[in-house]
Amino acid sequence: MDPLILTQGLNVLFAVTLLVIIVLGLAVVFGWLGVMNLAHGEFIMLGAYAAVFTNQHGLPFILAVPLAMLVCGTVGWLVERILIRPLYARPFDLLLATWGLGILIREVVEAFYGGGFHNVPVPVAGAVDVLGASYPAYRLLIIALAAPLIGLMLWWYLKSSTGARVKAMVGNPELAQAVGIQTDVLARNTFIFGSLLAGLAGVVIAPLMSANPYMGLDFVITAFFAIIVGGLGSVLGLFVGSGIIGGLDSVVSAILNRTTAYLLVLAIAVFFLWLRPRGIFSRV
Amino acid sequence: MAYFLAFSAALVALVLAIPAVLGLYWTFQLSLTFLYAIVAIGIGICWGQGGFLPLGQGMFLGLGAYMSGLILVNYSGSAIIWLLLPAAAIVPAVLAWGIGLAVFRGRTESGPFFALITLALTLLAFQIANTWNDVTGGFNGLRNIPDLPGMDGYDARYYFAAGALVAALGLAAWLINAPLGVVWRALAQNERRIVFFGYSTTHLKATAFAVAGFLAGFAGLLYAPQQNLVTPTLSGFLISADLVIWTAVGGRRSVIGPPVGAILIGVLTTELRDRVTVWEVIVSLVFILVVLYLPNGLVGMLAPLQRRLAALAARRPKPVEAPPPAHGGLAAPALGVDGCHLSVGDVHILDGLSLALEAPSIYCLIGPNGAGKTSTFNTITGELKSQSGDIRFDGVALGALPPERIAKLGIGRKFQIPSVFTELSVRDNIHVALWGTRARFLDLLKPSLRRWQTPVLAQLRQRYPFLENDAEMAGNLSHGERQILELAMSLVAEPRLLLLDEPCAGMSAEDSQIVIDTIHWARQTLGLTVVVIEHDMALVREIADHIFVMHQGSLLAQGDVASIQADTRVRDVYVGITV
Amino acid sequence: MKKFTSTLIKPTRRQFLTSTAGALALASAPAIIRPAKAADNFKIGLFAALTGPASLFGPTQKACAELAVDQVNAAGGINDKKVELIVVDGGVSPADAAKTGIRLMLNEQVDFVVGSHDSAVRQALVAAFKGKLPYVYTPIYEGNECAPHTYVIADTPPQQLDLALPWLAQHSGMDTVYMIGNDYVWPQVLNKYAKGMIAKLGGKVVGEEYMPLGAPNKFEEVVTRIKAANPKLVFVTLVGGDNVNFNRTFAAFGADKITRLSSLLEENTLLGIGKENANNLYGAMSYYANIETPRNAAFKQAYAAKFGAKAPNLSLLGEDCYAGVKFTAAVANKAGSANTAAVAKAALNLTFEAPGGQWTMRANRHVDKDMHLADATGGSFKVIKSVANMASGQTCT
Repeated sequence: MDPLILTQGLNVLFAVTLLVIIVLGLAVVFGWLGVMNLAHGEFIMLGAYAAVFTNQHGLPFILAVPLAMLVCGTVGWLVERILIRPLYARPFDLLLATWGLGILIREVVEAFYGGGFHNVPVPVAGAVDVLGASYPAYRLLIIALAAPLIGLMLWWYLKSSTGARVKAMVGNPELAQAVGIQTDVLARNTFIFGSLLAGLAGVVIAPLMSANPYMGLDFVITAFFAIIVGGLGSVLGLFVGSGIIGGLDSVVSAILNRTTAYLLVLAIAVFFLWLRPRGIFSRV
Repeated sequence: MAYFLAFSAALVALVLAIPAVLGLYWTFQLSLTFLYAIVAIGIGICWGQGGFLPLGQGMFLGLGAYMSGLILVNYSGSAIIWLLLPAAAIVPAVLAWGIGLAVFRGRTESGPFFALITLALTLLAFQIANTWNDVTGGFNGLRNIPDLPGMDGYDARYYFAAGALVAALGLAAWLINAPLGVVWRALAQNERRIVFFGYSTTHLKATAFAVAGFLAGFAGLLYAPQQNLVTPTLSGFLISADLVIWTAVGGRRSVIGPPVGAILIGVLTTELRDRVTVWEVIVSLVFILVVLYLPNGLVGMLAPLQRRLAALAARRPKPVEAPPPAHGGLAAPALGVDGCHLSVGDVHILDGLSLALEAPSIYCLIGPNGAGKTSTFNTITGELKSQSGDIRFDGVALGALPPERIAKLGIGRKFQIPSVFTELSVRDNIHVALWGTRARFLDLLKPSLRRWQTPVLAQLRQRYPFLENDAEMAGNLSHGERQILELAMSLVAEPRLLLLDEPCAGMSAEDSQIVIDTIHWARQTLGLTVVVIEHDMALVREIADHIFVMHQGSLLAQGDVASIQADTRVRDVYVGITV
Repeated sequence: MKKFTSTLIKPTRRQFLTSTAGALALASAPAIIRPAKAADNFKIGLFAALTGPASLFGPTQKACAELAVDQVNAAGGINDKKVELIVVDGGVSPADAAKTGIRLMLNEQVDFVVGSHDSAVRQALVAAFKGKLPYVYTPIYEGNECAPHTYVIADTPPQQLDLALPWLAQHSGMDTVYMIGNDYVWPQVLNKYAKGMIAKLGGKVVGEEYMPLGAPNKFEEVVTRIKAANPKLVFVTLVGGDNVNFNRTFAAFGADKITRLSSLLEENTLLGIGKENANNLYGAMSYYANIETPRNAAFKQAYAAKFGAKAPNLSLLGEDCYAGVKFTAAVANKAGSANTAAVAKAALNLTFEAPGGQWTMRANRHVDKDMHLADATGGSFKVIKSVANMASGQTCT
């Protein structure tokens, strides 16, 4: 196969995978809890800075993962308690409160690290030969690891009792409470889980694009669009939405140019928001 | 009224004095801040009144500014600019109207999605402004825009901006205090309910959004000659978000809140941004606190005072006879449901349901849980669409009509859980019901609507004295009073067919008796046909002229009380033996 | 709407009111008590990137300007007056910057304004000042600013490219060039100028792409295309985060055997790109912290002495503010006042010192300056060629 086409094909696969990783945390928080967390990008940014921290202190890259989870989990717990819980019934106020939260987190990180770019070296350098095309090793690793990890998550969601409880809570909160599911604890843990996933995404992304306090803004809007297109609350929708948005973006970027791709993504998002706000697969 | 005038006079004097007292710099600064305040007023109308949040007003601000700039650059010096410039405010309004219609059509509770749509559109607008170099000047913007004739000094621009702000405030005050404002606020509280009074929520929300688009476009129109430069950041997301933050902090529900927020935070930001390095942190913290604990903003903290003043001012004005309802006629309605099917997945909600109402009387719809009674009501009133079969009301097919049209035909509904508008006064609740089937859309701008009176309303007020407490918040009423208020609202609309869903649910025996008496009275005075869903057999026995028994989505039996009581199939169904 | 939990205890309105009022009062107290105006100072208003996307440069811009002010005061000030620096935010929207400009002009009554910010803000300031006071624009930009009484000491495209392209043509060849930049005026102007030069050098442009500004851009697809086209040179006119991302992706795909020339490559961006991703990466500007001249050594020494170990990183965006203050001192001293006409006369052919070299203000209100071509391989800049007194190529009258 023509190496150019193969490489662009891998680019599409990578783009979709990366978007799934970014969207995962927001899918949990927005898709299951209905929380429009505009600070999602800042949680990712916190994860990226965990990688900066480990790099600056000479620690192995892999330690950034537990550090990111610790930081994001703590922040998520605090945020859920103080900001999210009082506002579950007021979606607009929640949206605005998370926007304010995002600004706050950005400013705090900037106060500690300054506004510049922080390099995090790629943990796995070099390129790998894939059927004649040379592709960066780290990106391949992401593709290779993401699939089983996400599969694991899916299996957990579909098979475990916690997954069942989450589904019950999402489907009918009052009834779930009535049968004894502690919805407030479950909601809190779900939000923290979403924050953890965002932190993990940040660790994965940091070597790709370096960390800076403003990086979160880039992710959050595309992530929302992917969820809208795919459908809230649906796991299959997460993949399909990321596939459509990320894949379209990548394919059009590969064939035409980035500006057209970006405008197309915006147009599709508007289309879905207008005509099919429930997305392709809607569970709620 | 006097208080309001004195307050306004003081404000006007203050505004006029600023150039002399504070100097050129403040004059220049406030000229721009006043324009932002105008945009904030529009956000207040959408969000504080209509209950939906536009996150992308920068789009209209930028559009108005670019149009104004282009007109001035190309035609400055000739009188034609006065003809063309208004387009810079009208085109954004029309665009907003179109977007509103498209997004809101046939859909309730689309709020958060609407917010995201406006966000996406504003990102789109920014990119277009940035890359369409030939027209917008690209990143560096449209420069050297000439001044408006006669407005090249700082003072002139200030007074013009101040005048524009006052005009915008006047527009907002007029709309918010008009019947339209009451209807908007009702919509914000319970959109689903207001449809059943005959209001087209699509048009109501689109109108609010169009007003906001107009105000933003108007601010843009003034921005171009004031700043002599229009750049893409004006249509971007950051300014849109800032405007929302200022509106929230100021207080979105009041007329004066959004501009107060815009001016206060805008001025403080300019003054303190350079001197206080953590200013952004402070603003975001204050914003979060306001969102959490002060949903009505800073101005909202004065709300009890405002309300007391309003209560003092409110006396019931001289009543005016209201026009008859749109459907006119008291002729007996004929409702025919013919073979309706509705399935969702494997569940057959309605399974070949057929029933007919001919004579005006009281019908009762009974059946075990899950039989499809409420769904039948939902299908008749247009909330659910049957997948096959036919529903006709006086020969008019209801299947294709939206719920508000069906309401206007004279089908009223009262829900099981009292869904009065808790944050409106009793009087406003009644007015919303009264206007729905009688007022055309433009009538909502006439203050005379507040004086409407009908004989039915007068009689209801006699039966239930608490309905005379005009200023009482509906949310403060007891459960029983709320049920009665909602019943009164349904009756005041003078429907020809009234669907009551468990009207006595949760009421004491005395209160239930009052409701039953009222239903009898209404039937006699209005000649109206009533269909009641009830579970309480004692009640059914007392009021029903004719009973329909539903089971698993279709009609099992019908007849008068005695024949139904004797019917073994009905008994079996209730006991649980499958038929 | 979903209700999962009960709510927290809400503070009373009074508590909220008092605490907020207290916080606001505390925060604004120092601001409201304005400092007593010392009417006999020579005031310079400096627009630095205190907030916004370029805010990472704010600290060094401020620091360099303060250093320059110290040195000017030590040498006797300007026209026997002590120099006072007023730093304001240039990272805001153009309308807000204009507000601040008016304030500087009318309230603080500054004598000169020095600005290091983007072109949209510059235009707003030019419109606000209307030539009533001298305005010095300092960073790197696309050219074409000809407003009267606006003195541009910024690097221009001809200065960058007249130096870089011929050298790169010899060093790695210029048969084929691929252009990638952000979609706005500065990359477009750079590319236009570059195309003229490339044609003269006998090369061909095989690709020209623009990425939207302010969008979440990814570069895998573009890098793959560039690799497939295999040009001799990649001319990168991306800015900020896009510049960092592109170069990292470029190296990750193993394309860094291909020479890259970046139009805005300074120390902070290079830090973000990372030393392992900077092979064959070049830049051409009027200042690098690594320039080995006695002038620059003295500058760095003074900078370190004043700010110590925690000094913000030196880069062109920072050094430009130092140069702006030095130019102000030179021209105002020569003119004997800050009067715009006198300054205009004094500015003609005035030579002054910047850490990057010696610069001369010309009749087109731009400077001829020393330019340096640097190799960023290994993560730090190594100057490989310097040319003195390069003309700005601007045709202003």
